[in-house]
Amino acid sequence: MKLILIFSALFGAALCLETFVGHQVLRIKIKNEEQVRKLQFLETLEHLKLDFWRDPTKPGHPSDLRVPFPSLQAVKIFLESHGIPYSIMIKDVQQLLDEEKKIMLLSKEQERSTSTFDFASYHTLDEIYSWLDTLVANHPGLVSKIQIGESYEKRPLYVLKFSTGGSNRPAIWLDTGIHSREWVTQATGVWTANKLAEDYGRDPSITAILDSMDIFFEIVTNPDGYAFTHSSNRLWRKTRSINAGSSCIGVDPNRNWDAGFGGSGSSSSPCSETYRGPYAHSESEVKSIVDFILGHGNVKALISIHSYSQMLMFPYGYKSEPAPDFQELNELAEKAVNDLAAVYGTKYTYGSIIDTIYVASGTTVDWAYENGVKYSYTFELRDTGRYGFLLPSSQIIPTATETWPALLDIMLHVQQHPY
Amino acid sequence: IFEKDSTVNCTAEVLYHLGNKNAAPDVQFTIEGELKNTDEADNLFYNRIKSLKNELVAENIPDSYGNVPPEMEPIRALAWAASGYVIWKNSNENTKYQLAQIKHVKQVKRSDEYLEFDYMILLHENVSQEIIPWQMTVLWHPQHGIEVTQNSRQPKHV
Repeated sequence: MKLILIFSALFGAALCLETFVGHQVLRIKIKNEEQVRKLQFLETLEHLKLDFWRDPTKPGHPSDLRVPFPSLQAVKIFLESHGIPYSIMIKDVQQLLDEEKKIMLLSKEQERSTSTFDFASYHTLDEIYSWLDTLVANHPGLVSKIQIGESYEKRPLYVLKFSTGGSNRPAIWLDTGIHSREWVTQATGVWTANKLAEDYGRDPSITAILDSMDIFFEIVTNPDGYAFTHSSNRLWRKTRSINAGSSCIGVDPNRNWDAGFGGSGSSSSPCSETYRGPYAHSESEVKSIVDFILGHGNVKALISIHSYSQMLMFPYGYKSEPAPDFQELNELAEKAVNDLAAVYGTKYTYGSIIDTIYVASGTTVDWAYENGVKYSYTFELRDTGRYGFLLPSSQIIPTATETWPALLDIMLHVQQHPY
Repeated sequence: IFEKDSTVNCTAEVLYHLGNKNAAPDVQFTIEGELKNTDEADNLFYNRIKSLKNELVAENIPDSYGNVPPEMEPIRALAWAASGYVIWKNSNENTKYQLAQIKHVKQVKRSDEYLEFDYMILLHENVSQEIIPWQMTVLWHPQHGIEVTQNSRQPKHV
């Protein structure tokens, strides 16, 4: 019996939350000394339960007063009858408190997400997409999210824009995950985007770059494929578009670009992993980037990130003739892989695509180069085949960490060599 | 060569038959130094499998996240060695194979002292980018070594 009494008393106390429903805050304009005295008198009326936020002191200085709902009428009549002008600063105190609470809860959730987002594990498409919003929310004024199109299965194609202002500044394009099974690339993309946002204003190189250039970063370049690697086939590479007249699905998005399209470094069979597609830019995932870059008109560098093989390459893939900027591109690649190796000793090879890996036609990098983007590079991240596409998540952060100086080398060079 | 804390250099001379495209390349190799002695680990694994009540069955090694449970490491090492044989037999100067994943492995009961495993593996061919399912039957004994008694390319799952 006693226990029930105690419980109900506690319960009652817990429910006895003070509420400010209908309370208003009035700003009172004091005109003379007499009005000061009148307000001081008001203060003495305890039954009104008035709460002066700003005490009445002297003429010309406003006084702020919170009035509980039951006392509102009385107070207003008092002020009006004495010719004391006032205005309603807050119409309903409780409403304001409720909104404030909502904002606090929201930011707490976001706080939870940024501090609990695990950069050392692989995430689903939804998790990455939700994290994009977190990054934007945490770095307003630096990062924004734009949609450049839709995938075959109508998923949004999101690009993060890193910009400190200006109008159509020279830009760097980065993409990861164009081949969905290369999971370390999307994971590296997330880490790198975060690093870019965090280091602006702290790292002199990144600050110099972002103070004069914009960065556009597409982390999940092939969302349909990525979703498929989670739901059905971990080793899916291509898009998920339906091919007319074939039971085989998908086009290789890195053979679908209009640079040497249809050449021997791609396949005409829809069932092939390097199927070029029915025509150049047939894939919306590719076309969206083409339209974006051409529409932008001021993209100076493009870095497309793949895995695996540990290579850093530049054009051409579709022909063996050296690119006009071969020497400069080669030297920069050498510097970048040396700085990458300096972190953990990871060895990369480098050179043109055709020399380093194999002939490949219709690649992102060749298209970019032939469309005015001089500094076009493609990375093949870890490893060299021991785990291949199935790289253990424990290697995500080391991979991202070592790749960072290489990316920085390229971006700095671009920034220092405007054209 | 594949060992966590030690690196051994190996030089090999690989001759591709330009005339007969279906012949496996000629390989002459030299190992500098000595390979680590694995007798203890081999016997431990051998006895563990021999004493299993039911035949070992496993799939997706590594899993999607690159994880390999510690007790599956020897199964993986065996597959790695056996796939080396399969890869060698099917290589030419336009191919670059890697073992991508063990899709499925099933132990086959034997009355003799050998261990037998029926593997379904996925090979990744780096030039065509194809993922090729391959079946291989592997015989192993700690003292007698490894043998791939059967292997065949499987149709690709559409």
